[in-house]
Amino acid sequence: MTITSVQTVLSGRSAINANEKRVVKPQPEPYTISDFPFKGYQPPQPDGFEQSKAHPDTSAIVIDNGSSLVKAGWSFDQTPRFVFPPVMSRYRDRKLNRQCHFIGYDAYADATTRGQLRYAFDPGSSVVGNWDVMEGVLDYVFLKLGVDGANGGVDRPIVMTEPIANLAYPRIMMNEILFECYSAPSVSYGIDSLFAYRYNKGSDGLVVSSSHTSTHVIPVLGGKPLLSNCSRLNWGGLHNAEYLMKLMKLKYPTFPVRMTDNQMEELVRKHCYISQDYDRELNGYLDWTGLEDRDHVIQYPFTEHIVVEKSEEELARIAERKKESGRRLQEQAAKMRLEKLVKKEQELEYWKSIQEKLATETKKEIRRVLESEDLKDEAHLERMIRDLEKSIKRSRNKDLGIEETEEQPEEMSFPLLDIPDEQLDEAGLKEKRHQRLMKSNVEARARAKAEKEAEKARRDEEERLDREKRENHFEEWISERRVNRQSILQRIKDRDRMKADLGNRKSLASQMRMKTLANLAADGPKKRRRGGEDDDFGANDDDWGVYRTVATGDQSDEEEEEDLGGMLNSVEQELLEYDPEFTENHTLAAQSDWTKSLVHAFLRGPWPFDPESQREAHQIHLNVERIRVPEVVFKPSIAGVDQAGLIEIAADIVNQRFSGTQDRARLLKDVFLTGGNTLFKGFEDRFRNELRGYIPIDMEFNTRQATDPVLDAWKGAAQWVSGADWGRSSVTRQEYLEKGSEYIKEHDLGNATW
Amino acid sequence: MPPATPANDESHQLLLNQLDIAHVHKPYRNSHWRPSQRRNRNLKQIISESTRKEASVMATQANSGATTPFPGTSGTTTDGSQTPAEGTAKAPNLAQAAQSLSTLVLEKNARANLPSGPAVTYTNIESAPSLSAAHQRHYCDITGLSGPYTDPKTRLRYHDKEIFAVIRTLAQGVPEIYLEARGAHTVLK
Repeated sequence: MTITSVQTVLSGRSAINANEKRVVKPQPEPYTISDFPFKGYQPPQPDGFEQSKAHPDTSAIVIDNGSSLVKAGWSFDQTPRFVFPPVMSRYRDRKLNRQCHFIGYDAYADATTRGQLRYAFDPGSSVVGNWDVMEGVLDYVFLKLGVDGANGGVDRPIVMTEPIANLAYPRIMMNEILFECYSAPSVSYGIDSLFAYRYNKGSDGLVVSSSHTSTHVIPVLGGKPLLSNCSRLNWGGLHNAEYLMKLMKLKYPTFPVRMTDNQMEELVRKHCYISQDYDRELNGYLDWTGLEDRDHVIQYPFTEHIVVEKSEEELARIAERKKESGRRLQEQAAKMRLEKLVKKEQELEYWKSIQEKLATETKKEIRRVLESEDLKDEAHLERMIRDLEKSIKRSRNKDLGIEETEEQPEEMSFPLLDIPDEQLDEAGLKEKRHQRLMKSNVEARARAKAEKEAEKARRDEEERLDREKRENHFEEWISERRVNRQSILQRIKDRDRMKADLGNRKSLASQMRMKTLANLAADGPKKRRRGGEDDDFGANDDDWGVYRTVATGDQSDEEEEEDLGGMLNSVEQELLEYDPEFTENHTLAAQSDWTKSLVHAFLRGPWPFDPESQREAHQIHLNVERIRVPEVVFKPSIAGVDQAGLIEIAADIVNQRFSGTQDRARLLKDVFLTGGNTLFKGFEDRFRNELRGYIPIDMEFNTRQATDPVLDAWKGAAQWVSGADWGRSSVTRQEYLEKGSEYIKEHDLGNATW
Repeated sequence: MPPATPANDESHQLLLNQLDIAHVHKPYRNSHWRPSQRRNRNLKQIISESTRKEASVMATQANSGATTPFPGTSGTTTDGSQTPAEGTAKAPNLAQAAQSLSTLVLEKNARANLPSGPAVTYTNIESAPSLSAAHQRHYCDITGLSGPYTDPKTRLRYHDKEIFAVIRTLAQGVPEIYLEARGAHTVLK
């Protein structure tokens, strides 16, 4: 998005607080952003496997197969041993000529591995799409858990999580891999959010799970999930990050650094929060007051262009060199002047000698000498001598530094003009002609001077009248100015609109222009302008204006543009001086100031922006996005998801699908929030306050959050293994071979068979 | 990134060797495991497959049971009043057995499904579009603030005239990206 905040039109926002003086905000403290989530080498932990050897049948490997993080560990552990993203980077190293596999955080080790990153899950869903990656992830899990494979297989039961209403194909594939590739003795599946609910000791309630790829609402009664009444919203933490990425790319289209998905996830996690009253908070979000707290600045790494600062010494040397060359030039010029002077003096001497010689000569001789020197007459010679003397004197003065005194031009006299031609000889006539020329010259100069003076007097008079009017009829005067200012503003607006319209080929202005051009170009008699038989184009000076209307581009109305700005400035100056209601804040310049610009506040916060600064060019500002992004789960329409929001879904399940008041009461008594997407600040409060509006006022209503919304699913699964249910619900290898890869056993925390 | 010095490079290669699990021996893997080359499918493919399967099951259910026009299985031929020829007796019986087996399975399925209503599938638990008008508020596509106006040319919603001026300066194609973020872009098929 290229936003150039050239603005001539006043926005309502700025008009309201035009009198407000905007204080300078303290400099922001930018937040940093991490590069890549590489965590270094994770050593395997074989002690768990050793421990499991005591009870190989009841020590299960528990894998919470989450689309954001895979959590893996032993059922007897308190917390998962390994938590990593389900990604793999697989490529053939050409130098070493071998296959390389990097799993989880290891895949972020360097640029090569990052370049080959693949996700196990189908993008945007909780369904595994890439089974090669999934196999790599499982390899990694068993490797790190220290499985020794003594019997040629994993040799420990496996407990896994799967999405609600998992599709048949992913389950078949998972079963195939676990039983055939890893030869697992038994496998059981369960739903992550139900494991978490069980871990938090819930049996009757509404489970709201907002996780990485989706958001589910599941009613649970008597410890049994009512899967037919559960509902899924296709929005989760992953979508938040994707949405923020889209917004950021649009907000800063020329951002110099690549923004990564990981960074967006980090930004969502660290800076976003759930607004308690979205619409109200939203509309004041970019207001000047407090914007420095709402606007978070994220600084990306950058390198400042360093302008090489020259040292004092160097600067002195450069100045010296400059001076030196200047001096040399001056010397040269002086020398040349001297030479010229000498030459002139010689010339002068020569002419003078001729003049002296002529004084004693005969008339005939004089003419001969003059002709040989290319002179017309003696007067010419005299004039030449006089000019030379003058110029020699001037240049001498210059050399000596004597200020030239402006010589008053001696009053010219033109005596010959009054003498009739008959009384003059040839030389006299010539002289008379010369004098006439001189006279008209002098007269013209005098006329121009008089005109100038008259103009000045007129202006003075105008000013005086204006002053008089201001003093005597102030109201009238000021309203005149105001009207004038408005009209100039209007003209500026019109000009800008015209310019914008000419950019659009279909606009009326462009079409009119094309019509005029066609008219001008047509030269047949039929297409004469305005139908006149006789083309009198040019008779009226305004006719030429047509060329101005068709010209586009920079050269067209440059002078006018200057003019409008200058006119506005002078009018505003006068208004500032005399109009009590007109303040600095009312001027156009103040109103188009960046502090009044909404777009500036959106892009750059309450601080000025210096386009030269690399530091500022590498900053992104999060403001509206901080509440806009996590709001989507409540209002999916913001991001174009055609589904009801979380509150509406929950209210619908409670109110429409459960007719008995008793069931409803049981559900509402314990509303349980889990999943990484519920970790936003204010999520629980917002959920409670908003859902409250949909349920009967006298009904008991409690919400609670999982103790650890991310890890509780794993912990619940690990705990479940020690119970009696697990033994009944896991499918053994024998059963798999007999009943097929689609076969599962139903239990209270898992999916039902179709 | 710092420039790769030889020493740096070497230690990095060592780290990569340590992280790489391709060459690590994995004894727990079945060495005969050869997965299909085309096992990776995206969600769309899986869903369309499963809906096709569901549809075909429905079809079988519709023409199941006694109404199946199978030549050998009509009641008159197998009620025992007629003695069929030795050679042809076997085939209809097998067919009948198969038929009743599939009916049995379907019946069992129906019984399993009936109490809990329609089966729960990945597609049918998706929540419905919102019915509440309160959630149909419009927001500015550029800033996210309230957006009471719509530009008829680009169909973008905007907050005030300053934003409108910005919209008018957007390069070709950019408004479409804004619309896409709201899911309101035109999809050409």
